[in-house]
Amino acid sequence: MELSPQARLQLRRFRSLKRGFGSFLALLFLSLLALLAEVLVSNRALLVRYDGRLYWPSYGAIHPGHDFGLNYPYETDYRALRAQFATAHQGNWVLMPIIPFGPNENCYPGQTFTPRAPDLTLRHYLGTDQINRDILARLLYGFRNSLLFSAGFIVLVYLIGVVVGCAMGYFGGWLDLGMQRIIEIWSLLPFLLVVIIVRSALPTGTSFGLGLLLLVVVLFAWTGMTYYTRSATYREKARDYVAAAQVLGAGPARVLFHHILPNILSILVTFLPFTAAAAIASLTALDYLGFGLPPPMPSWGELLRQGTGNLDAPWIVASAFCALSLVLILITFIGEAIREAFDPKKFMVYR
Amino acid sequence: MTHSFRSSLLWPLGAATLIFGACSKPAGPEVTSAPAATAPAAFPGMEADLQRTLKEQSSFYIFKSASDFEQDTKGLTWEDGANEPEYGDPAAKRGGTLTLATPDFPGTFRWIGPDASDPFREFLLDYVASVFVRPHPNLPGQYTPELAREWAVDLAHKTVYFRLDPDARWSDGVPLTTEDVVFSWYYYRSPLLNEPWYNDFYTKTYSALTVYDDYNFSLTLAELKPDMVDRAGNVNPLPKHFFKEFGPDWVQKYNWRITPTLGAYTIREEDIKRPSSITLSYVKKWWGQDKRFLRYRFNPDRVHLTVIRDPDKTIEAFLRGDIDDLPVISPQAWYEKMSNDHPAVASGFTVKATFYNQIPPPDFGLWINEAQPLLGDRNVRLGIQYASNFKLVCQQYFRGDAAIQKTVSDGYGWDPNPEVKPRPFDPQKAREFFAKAGFTQQGPDGVLTNPQGQRLSFTITTIYRRFQDVLVVLKQEALKAGLEFNLEVLDQTTGSQKMEEKKCEITLAAYNRTVEMYPRYWESYSGVNAYDVPYLADGSPNPNRKVKINTNNLCSIAIPALDELIKQYDKAETMEQTKILAAKIEQMIYDDGCWVNGWKIPHYWAAYRPWIKWPADFNVMQSRDEWEFWLMWIDPDAQKAALEAKAAGRNLPRQSPIYDRFKEP
Repeated sequence: MELSPQARLQLRRFRSLKRGFGSFLALLFLSLLALLAEVLVSNRALLVRYDGRLYWPSYGAIHPGHDFGLNYPYETDYRALRAQFATAHQGNWVLMPIIPFGPNENCYPGQTFTPRAPDLTLRHYLGTDQINRDILARLLYGFRNSLLFSAGFIVLVYLIGVVVGCAMGYFGGWLDLGMQRIIEIWSLLPFLLVVIIVRSALPTGTSFGLGLLLLVVVLFAWTGMTYYTRSATYREKARDYVAAAQVLGAGPARVLFHHILPNILSILVTFLPFTAAAAIASLTALDYLGFGLPPPMPSWGELLRQGTGNLDAPWIVASAFCALSLVLILITFIGEAIREAFDPKKFMVYR
Repeated sequence: MTHSFRSSLLWPLGAATLIFGACSKPAGPEVTSAPAATAPAAFPGMEADLQRTLKEQSSFYIFKSASDFEQDTKGLTWEDGANEPEYGDPAAKRGGTLTLATPDFPGTFRWIGPDASDPFREFLLDYVASVFVRPHPNLPGQYTPELAREWAVDLAHKTVYFRLDPDARWSDGVPLTTEDVVFSWYYYRSPLLNEPWYNDFYTKTYSALTVYDDYNFSLTLAELKPDMVDRAGNVNPLPKHFFKEFGPDWVQKYNWRITPTLGAYTIREEDIKRPSSITLSYVKKWWGQDKRFLRYRFNPDRVHLTVIRDPDKTIEAFLRGDIDDLPVISPQAWYEKMSNDHPAVASGFTVKATFYNQIPPPDFGLWINEAQPLLGDRNVRLGIQYASNFKLVCQQYFRGDAAIQKTVSDGYGWDPNPEVKPRPFDPQKAREFFAKAGFTQQGPDGVLTNPQGQRLSFTITTIYRRFQDVLVVLKQEALKAGLEFNLEVLDQTTGSQKMEEKKCEITLAAYNRTVEMYPRYWESYSGVNAYDVPYLADGSPNPNRKVKINTNNLCSIAIPALDELIKQYDKAETMEQTKILAAKIEQMIYDDGCWVNGWKIPHYWAAYRPWIKWPADFNVMQSRDEWEFWLMWIDPDAQKAALEAKAAGRNLPRQSPIYDRFKEP
């Protein structure tokens, strides 16, 4: 795809803004880590060599214990297998990920539920939570859930926001007036409270997970975007090129999507990081209050709640808080940089 | 506990029970046929309605003369509990203020009706109000006098006679008479009450209330039962003079009025500090202060209840010294937040006591709903039994302090069926049962499937957020047997509704159980509480039956033979009969496998300041928490010494007593 000269200029300016671009790279790196979570943090082995064959258990179907000569039909305990192979000296070995714990795994079955402090020798780099789960594992998988959630959130909110906003701005008249009133009423609903009420009335089993929560949150969060697209469309509609396109016989859809939308794109892009931040923050808030993802899905809000309930185990709240702050700060830096890069005024003089 | 209804599943350590509540709903309208219910606008006032009811129901409310009393009770043995030991400590000192925490400001000061089942109810009703005769909390089967000075049982006529204590006075000074007794039954049976449970219980349990004069009355029960005195005598009367304005709008009208009490504590208007605190005050010149079984109890002059909503904050407040006494429920709080190294504990300013009690524990476990797809198959249910690792839950979550419940009705002081043993966690055996049900293939995620491609996956629903971690353990362990549990933690309202509409597959739940002599099975295990028409005429399952909602039969269990046993059980007149039938019922429920044995905790924990003193045994056997029977007192000398030591930075000897006199072997 050929970028327009203006887009290239904006991109160059974005790259020249060190703090924003650096944050962007850092977030990209973190997202990559989250996408590859199974390879880095998992109770499944990366590689197992058993009786001359190699196994890659990280992805795909589980390997029952029978596959490795163990006497149980359920998923292999690879950490135990590793210890067993190490003492047997039969040429079999297990390669575990750097952090050999799963996000939902009760790491010490049979032992008391109590938060364990960070311990490098046990490979709990951030300690464990109150039910013996590795915090780093939950942070990383929780981050992935947040990313998925915010990606879905952005797509849906933009889709609704752009369609409704553009239609209001372009057609104006009664449609605009009517929709504005509806949006005003809708946006006056107290967001978190209404989401909690709707959420508690819906089925919440593990199988519903992320998707349903996403829909509920989007249902009450789409209004913000319409304001900006509406006013931008209004402005663009009055321009000569729109009139020219209409004179040439272009229909509303063509005018909107081929002529107006590319010209208001900068506004949409500028809001992107802040929408992502809002998504992560609302997911965390809902989880914190206990109306978010169903247990035992890893989430930051749940970690924060555990942490504030266990202030005598400060590593829980510290991990969750630092991770959340870091990601929100990175996103904010990126947002600032994008806004600056897309600002037509290159120099600003404050008086 | 008195015969009262608590609509909540959420506070399992509170009083009473949900048990009948839901079941009785369909019976609500047929309880009494008072026209007032259909035309509330024409309500003539309480007194007129009462008189009309007495006239209409003259076979229930019977008025006789004092001479009839002599006649009717001739040859009966009067009991007054004189030979039973008291449980208050004569060394107790009266006076002082006790500061406690309560989780929320009450939604009402009524004893009954909407919001009346919130945790504050203990301080309005359960722990403070008086009853006619109270079961002796250390000697099951024995009774102690309270409002009734004496009582006599007439087995032949299923009747219990009472002589009220003429000293008994409401907290506003009005004496208690049989007028209040008559009003109480009118009130409990009135459809205006808007409480079907009370209507149902007070209609079905009693067949007549006979009044002889101001202080003598008798109650006739509908069925002869081994615990007749408890059924007739363990009832809270209500003050008629206070309910003058009782009517269709009483729920709103009486919401914030303080009911006069016969108990030791009342609430004064000036002590209600909404929304932060309420203080109970000892009733001036309380009639019961020198009575046997009431003296040496209710010792603090004032009980200050601070509202602290968050349980973690309550613990912080206690450790800081803002509250004096705290029942501890969470093992984590007990072992970690107030660990022995914590300055407030190490310095000796916190005493941590463990008391072994004997009460029917809430029946925590997995309730498998047989009306749901796949769960009607007994093999699947037995597989789930062997796939649920509650032993690990006891070890990890409860740190070995909890034990597995043995039967669906532990804690009544006798073993209902020694043959019944909870099934252990055994993934191999679970897989065998699942295989019998057709689940032989293991999918790529380790979950078993049957040839039709159905996955062996069920959702467990609960309303107890604090037991979310218990479910996480069960989920991980069940996967070893190829069984997937999805977890669903709902808020109380939504969750209870879903459960009682029988829409859950499996429920982690518990009902509170009344302290009494024998368990109740009808509510949770009879077919009529599972379906509208459970069986056809020949006893086979009715193919068109509809699930019955709002009952406590969460398992939707319906077995004709079991129903028959329960019917016999409910009519059993002696304890021997009761026990024989209970053993059979337990066996049948066990064989059906609809309830997976959860945990019970054989003790409770109390943390308090060293100047709060207790009797030598700490508390009575059948106490739910350390407050229930008010045996503690404040020792002012110890308080002064402790506070001085604290100010000077000195430590006191650390105490963590364990009271195991009532520990079950």
